[in-house]
Amino acid sequence: MKTKEARVREVLQDPTVERTPGIVTIRVWELPVRVLHWTVVAAVLVLAGTGYYIGNPYILVGSEPGFVMGLIRSIHLASAWVFSVAIICRIIWSFIGNRWSRWDQLVPVHRERRVWLWKTLGYYLFLRKEPPPAAGHNPLAGVTYLVVFVMFVVQIITGLALAALANPQGVLWSTTGWVFSLFAIQTVRLVHHLIMWLTIGFVIHHVYSAVLVDIEEKSGLVSSIFTGYKRLPIDRL
Amino acid sequence: MPAMETRERALGDRLAQFGVNRRTFLKYCATLTAVLALPARFTERVARALESVEKPSIIWLEFQDCAGDTESFLRSRNPGVGDLILDLLSVDYHETIMAAAGFQAEAAKEATIAKGGYIVVVEGSVPMGDGGVYCTIGGKTAIQILEEAAVGAAAIINVGTCSAYGGLPKAAPNPTRAVGVASVVSGVPIINLPGCPANADNITATLVHYLTFGSLPATDSKGRPLFAYGTRIHDACERRAHFDAGQFVLEWGDAGHKRGWCLYKMGCKGPSTFHNCPIIRWNEATSWPVGSGHGCVGCSEPDFWDTMTDFYVRLPKVTGFGAEATADKIGLGIAAATAVGFGAHGIAKAIQRRAGLGSEGPAPGSMEDDTDGSE
Ligand code: SF4
Ligand code: SF4
Repeated sequence: MKTKEARVREVLQDPTVERTPGIVTIRVWELPVRVLHWTVVAAVLVLAGTGYYIGNPYILVGSEPGFVMGLIRSIHLASAWVFSVAIICRIIWSFIGNRWSRWDQLVPVHRERRVWLWKTLGYYLFLRKEPPPAAGHNPLAGVTYLVVFVMFVVQIITGLALAALANPQGVLWSTTGWVFSLFAIQTVRLVHHLIMWLTIGFVIHHVYSAVLVDIEEKSGLVSSIFTGYKRLPIDRL
Repeated sequence: MPAMETRERALGDRLAQFGVNRRTFLKYCATLTAVLALPARFTERVARALESVEKPSIIWLEFQDCAGDTESFLRSRNPGVGDLILDLLSVDYHETIMAAAGFQAEAAKEATIAKGGYIVVVEGSVPMGDGGVYCTIGGKTAIQILEEAAVGAAAIINVGTCSAYGGLPKAAPNPTRAVGVASVVSGVPIINLPGCPANADNITATLVHYLTFGSLPATDSKGRPLFAYGTRIHDACERRAHFDAGQFVLEWGDAGHKRGWCLYKMGCKGPSTFHNCPIIRWNEATSWPVGSGHGCVGCSEPDFWDTMTDFYVRLPKVTGFGAEATADKIGLGIAAATAVGFGAHGIAKAIQRRAGLGSEGPAPGSMEDDTDGSE
């Protein structure tokens, strides 16, 4: 049985293993960031699936007794709490995490990021060939995520407010009932529903962009959200 | 002890005269106590209050309305006792039911206002546009009439959605700039009993609460009494079990409709509406809209004519996307457009990469570009 060091040494000395000078491997996404990311992914999938059914119940139960809508609503509500907690944790993490997970990666408060915002847009509009160098989120992605976070927060508030309708004497109502002083109940439902569709649109865009940049950058961007590591040329840091 | 004259007016002494025995009267009081969501032991207190209370004066004002709430009130259930309650109230001014007319009627109203301490019941919205010309009575605008009546009022009870929130006259485009009463007067306790029409039992119960406790019942953030608007239609609906099961009416008159299944897919707005219709029901408690097979249209919510329509679909139409733009069509459009858009983008990017097209931006990593924001 070889020791670990022995195995590492063996690999490092293997001439077939690529050891490109000038390439660094960085742990960009910390464990909490990755865990929260996949929690949100799972919650969004469940929430969109159950939410679509709640808006348009297509599974129809015949005369036999059933509890389909009741069950789906319970799942929706349970995953809504998971989603809400995950989003809150991620927001908290953006103040305590590493530099790539911080809030200033989303809100373009730094001038350089604003400059790169336009250049990144140029990349998407075929004006630039190379994707922008960024170990974490590129500035355009950051701003997109800012919009997504705002959408998610609105989704959480409207969703909890709609859930609170069932008990206007409850705690949930006393925290979210103010929504209905500003907007009609049906308007809140509509907004909640449209944000679901916008989120689906975002997911499509997000997966596509990740794959695209991964291909162009060869940085292992897609795998980085599983492993946390990106492999980047030093000059692209 | 109340004065002799008051005793004469009190309800207790007149029960027999109206052919109502005490048992029926107490039963009615018990019903009202239940409507008010008070514990049963309050029945006695309600009965005592109704028997001995002085005749309170009421001024019933009608503005931009259809008199539907008057109709509803005059047909309150238990006609025998209900009529008594009506008789108990000194309705000094009510355009639809008073015998007096013209100057005589206005004089009666002015006399009551001079006395003060009366209750104002308002039916219909107040038009604010063009100085209020769209509703004038006896040469005065609704705004003036309301302001005058509010001065000495002990309380204002808005019956129906129009006086509560503007109702149908306020629906877009609201040509008369109609508003609810609370947007015109302040400084008087105001309670809203929305509904199209307001339910007679809720009107009676509110009045009885006032007579029994000398105050208006507790309200929600929209000024509606909690006893009547504290629960959603959807949470008290007899079809709710079918909703939870997943048994829905898909077409008027289909098998599910005949079996009394849930009207959710037919656009029922019960999930968005606070009202006690399923509990106290209508027409002498025989039935109610959803009970009789039609979805709730949300008539007791502010701006229901604008926000609850289309009455037969689940979610409001989204304006600005064409007439048939339902939320789902737009949503699918968004999803499809993103997919197609990015698919095309991907192909274009691949071509760009192969052909080396696109303006050669400064190579990443060159000095000029060394401004990575992620740092
Ligand atoms: S009929 Fe309407 S109020 Fe009744 S359960 Fe169905 S959706 Fe709810
Ligand atoms: S069921 Fe709905 S629409 Fe019908 S009266 Fe009650 S609140 Fe109004």
